[in-house]
Amino acid sequence: MREEDYRIHGQLGEAPTTMVVTWCDDAGGLGDNVAQQLVAQLGCEEVGEIEVVNFFALGGVSVENDVAQFPEGKFYASPQRQIVVVKSDPPVSEWYAFLNVILDVAERHCSVKELYTIGGMVSMSAHTTPRQLLAMAGSTEFKKVLSQYGITRDMDYETPDGQRPTLNSFLLWLAKQRGIPAAGLWVPVPFYMVNGEDPKAWRKVLEFLDTRLGLGLDFSDIDEQAKSQGERIAQALARAPDLQESVQRLETNLMISQEDSERLVAEMEKLFRQRG
Amino acid sequence: MAITLFKNPALNDPVLIASWPGIGSIGTVAVDALRRSLEAEEFGGIEPWEFFYPKKVLIRSGVLEDIEFPSSRFYYKKMAKRDLMLFLGEEQPSDGGRAYAAGEKAYRMANLVLDVAQQFGCRRVYTSGAAVAAVHHTARPRVWAVPNSEHLIDEISDYDNTILMSDIEGRGGQGSITGLNGLLLGVAKMRSLEAICLMGEIPIYLQGLPFPYPKASKSVAEVLAKTLGLDIDWEAISAIVEASEKEIEKLYAVFPAEIKEQLDKLREASRPQSADPGPITEEDKRRILEDIDKLFGRESKED
Repeated sequence: MREEDYRIHGQLGEAPTTMVVTWCDDAGGLGDNVAQQLVAQLGCEEVGEIEVVNFFALGGVSVENDVAQFPEGKFYASPQRQIVVVKSDPPVSEWYAFLNVILDVAERHCSVKELYTIGGMVSMSAHTTPRQLLAMAGSTEFKKVLSQYGITRDMDYETPDGQRPTLNSFLLWLAKQRGIPAAGLWVPVPFYMVNGEDPKAWRKVLEFLDTRLGLGLDFSDIDEQAKSQGERIAQALARAPDLQESVQRLETNLMISQEDSERLVAEMEKLFRQRG
Repeated sequence: MAITLFKNPALNDPVLIASWPGIGSIGTVAVDALRRSLEAEEFGGIEPWEFFYPKKVLIRSGVLEDIEFPSSRFYYKKMAKRDLMLFLGEEQPSDGGRAYAAGEKAYRMANLVLDVAQQFGCRRVYTSGAAVAAVHHTARPRVWAVPNSEHLIDEISDYDNTILMSDIEGRGGQGSITGLNGLLLGVAKMRSLEAICLMGEIPIYLQGLPFPYPKASKSVAEVLAKTLGLDIDWEAISAIVEASEKEIEKLYAVFPAEIKEQLDKLREASRPQSADPGPITEEDKRRILEDIDKLFGRESKED
């Protein structure tokens, strides 16, 4: 792998480390917020970065929520807690090289013992439905390890024609080729929260990492955000009985029409855009 | 790195026929038809991971078992005179979701294909693709041929049902071939290899549809078979052409009358001794494309 694809400028630690890989554009803000919580609560420091010019189209900047954005791929570490967090935008090209950069850092600089990818997946469920955490292991042995947390399933799946595997699946496959114990952690995110924030989903991932790695995380901020968001959604639904009915149908696993789905998405996105 | 060969056949002055997907899958269907009919044997491929995003993940019992990538495979067939090498790419390598290969990856892929070809003594290369033309689907598609060297023009002039760019009115011998089916010609030229791209005509109104146009593939395969003396069983591809014709006729039947009126001009023009329906002007072509785009809810675009 090309050395110029990344720079390490801080201490990653020599003890066996767990690497958590997150993506910035994830459903429900899952990747971003899991990374932020881990970095903030564990006192991780930025220790390296991926050279964006090799993997992103840099023909200008996008603007989101009034702010200019720029792609990034960064490594944060807490050597004392033996954890490295990767927080990155998904590359737009050279995926194989990009994912190998992550694994090179994992192997050469962190003595990685476990690697987790984080991903939200779109679900036709209500925001009141309890979130589930699902794990897809890279090997039978690691599935056995994770089964004690009740997050593994005996699921069979093949990517349907016309669709492509996720970047997380690609990374897990590459980790498997290198013999790195790895798993993809997935949380179904209600479809109308995909472009907003879903603190309940963040909590599911963080709860698992907390238990597995003994991190001693504090969930009070996330719980407060989830509570406040629930109240705001409840107020919005109280003003729109037809939307309320759609949510009730989803809560009982009934389908809703395309038109109702689109309306729910539009109303919730309007709500999420209101700051404060 | 990047090339895997699991057989090392001794080939006699082989010709390479290569194709990657493009409009109407014309080239790939043509080459695949030859491969099947000749029962050509696979002998290697190009490692995919640096070129392609995976196309499929396989999960078994909650464990990621494997990932599949688009294939890039070499085949060979021993013949009485010159042997044959075939290359079929399932996708064109691309950056950022472009349909056609361009830039460094495309150049690397083209070089790898020719590395293998030259390793087996190949000096002549054919590629195959589509020529979007103002023709009707009831007409027999012609084959447009573009060589990478002037000295091949005389040879091409003897091919059946084949024309040069300069034979097409208004083109003045100019044009372009997008993606690897074109790029391979250029890279072959750099290596002093003879190369010819054969492009089957596809009606302009069918170019954006998400299904193959095997009638043009058959035209290309016919040119290759005759030129290289290949004994091909045409039954299988003819059946595919017939089925495709029926589907196109069904689609044609539901075209609005005003679109059909435009398209019928192409039908008349395709008949050798038809009463003159009036010339198909550039304005006619533009209107046909606009009407078709409107019919399928697409943005109007240049090829």
